[in-house]
Amino acid sequence: MPIIIAKNIEKIYNPKTVPVHALRGVDLTIDKGEFTAIVGPSGSGKTTLLNIIGGLDHPTGGSIEVDDTDISKLSDNQLIDFRQKKIGFVFQSYNLIPVLTVEENTEFVMLLQKRPKEERHRRVSELLASFGLGDKKDKRPSQLSGGQQQRVAVARALAPKPTFVLADEPTANLDSVSASNLLDIMEKMNREEHVTFVFSTHDQRVIDRARRVVTLVDGKIDSDILQK
Amino acid sequence: MLFKIAWRNIWRSKTRSITVILSIAIGVWALSFVLSFSNGITYTFIQNAIRDQYSHLQLHHPKFPEDKNSKYFIKNKKEILAAIKQMPATEALTGRVIANGMVSSSRGARGVQIMGVNPETEKQVTHFDKNIVEGSYFKEGKRNQILISKRIAEKLKVKLRSRIVLTFQNMEGEITAAAFRVAGLFSTGNMMTDEALVYVVDNDLKKNLLPKQSDSTGIVYSDNIAHEIAVFLKNSKDIKRVKEKLKNEFPGLLVQDYWELSPDIELYETQIKTSNSIIIAIFMLALIFGIINTMLMAVLERYKELGMLMAIGMNKAKIFFMIVLETLMLSAVAAPIGLGAGFLTVYLLQDTGIDLSSFAKGLERFGMETTIIPVLDFGLYIRIATAVFITALLASIYPARKAVKLKPVEALHKI
Repeated sequence: MPIIIAKNIEKIYNPKTVPVHALRGVDLTIDKGEFTAIVGPSGSGKTTLLNIIGGLDHPTGGSIEVDDTDISKLSDNQLIDFRQKKIGFVFQSYNLIPVLTVEENTEFVMLLQKRPKEERHRRVSELLASFGLGDKKDKRPSQLSGGQQQRVAVARALAPKPTFVLADEPTANLDSVSASNLLDIMEKMNREEHVTFVFSTHDQRVIDRARRVVTLVDGKIDSDILQK
Repeated sequence: MLFKIAWRNIWRSKTRSITVILSIAIGVWALSFVLSFSNGITYTFIQNAIRDQYSHLQLHHPKFPEDKNSKYFIKNKKEILAAIKQMPATEALTGRVIANGMVSSSRGARGVQIMGVNPETEKQVTHFDKNIVEGSYFKEGKRNQILISKRIAEKLKVKLRSRIVLTFQNMEGEITAAAFRVAGLFSTGNMMTDEALVYVVDNDLKKNLLPKQSDSTGIVYSDNIAHEIAVFLKNSKDIKRVKEKLKNEFPGLLVQDYWELSPDIELYETQIKTSNSIIIAIFMLALIFGIINTMLMAVLERYKELGMLMAIGMNKAKIFFMIVLETLMLSAVAAPIGLGAGFLTVYLLQDTGIDLSSFAKGLERFGMETTIIPVLDFGLYIRIATAVFITALLASIYPARKAVKLKPVEALHKI
């Protein structure tokens, strides 16, 4: 069942001055439960595609339907609301809220969604325990290692049970052990909770674990391969 | 959560936040002190004017204030004084006989207003006995005593116990003169009062002012008269109420409060209020730029983080509110410190006041004390706190707008 349908996506930066074609007619469909990596060299447009899928950027042309909603037609405020309800984000540089503890960071989006306190606490405890962060719940991000911070970021993305998670180079700043741990966790969540993950990466460790690899070259899909 | 984030955010850069808090606090302290001082000057000026000159209320013959002719007097003085004295709001009152004339010595002469006062009741109303700097206040049993200011004494080159002559028109319109002996020299601290008034006992003045039996029209004069009745109330809040009551009880008399008697008090008070408002506005202007600068820096430093918050679903209203909240919190920490310091400073100065004796001559000219006690006014603190709150609110708008205008996708890729 498709949850993301991108049709003929175009993205041109600086259209009036020095136009840069980041995406040139990309068609992509992602089904629920996928564990997909979008790969390609620097400048191939993978982050742009991820931003458009995540409603962080508007395409210049084409349409993008996420969970039956054409998000290319949503206003900025509607997009914020949409992202909060449907999408979990994991960024390359963790991007946790530095003044909040691990527990508070994890429950943050649920709090924005005004979920009941009991539900929030149950979900956060569950996630932190399964991510091996139970004893770190009162720590601030600055007191954690990079791997731990990225696990908190994944926990935050997963806490509200989003339709899918977008992860932009999630392992780029991690050592191999931390990267492996993180991928284990994400694979587990994909397997057990059927969470859909879409990565943008050029990390071979991620590519190796992905079940589908979409390769972008010069803003176009060069290959789309199912693995394993 | 938003309150928690905002509160913790302001302590992320401790040095910067403490610097801003201190600068706001020092500004608030200085403002509260300057305004308390300015109110102290106003209060002293008005209180002096009421105590020394006008009292809270005065009663006159309706034509007297305009003409100052001694033929416009109040009849039945004793009965009127007795009736007013019975009012619970009255603290003290006195009747005065007034004539305009000239005081002269062998060395000079000056035009003055001659105040014929009842020594006992006058000192209850004006505390005039406390203004005597040389000699003594009126002594019982002595005739034709006169109190003149030290300044007039210097100009007429007379000393204590010197004889001086008062020349004035009596009620029959004839010029009359009487010799008085200087019993005391006074100084009110108000140069204009000192140069304009001399004081004698009312009965001594009446002897020369009233016709012996009747005037040419056949009117028989009684000594039960006054040109002015001054009333000092226990509480200045009762002025309006008592004034209305007196108007009703004595419809033939002109009843005026000190505002009407001295429009310059009102003018002075209005000017002080205006200058206070200007000082507050200047303070707010200086504060607003300081806060904008700090909050703008805080927003720009957290550009990426704010982008992340928007990316994960924190809406613009919440981002805006968070920045406003941070600004208000900074001010909420700073304002009580500044107000507390201001209060403490003013409180510590309640006994000693601020000595402005180096400006004494200039201040005396305007009837002011040389030691100013700053006024502790809680209304003032509320006004300053409100000004700080409004300033912080206004100052937060620009940085908050800047924060919500960012594009998450651009902010997230900022280094």
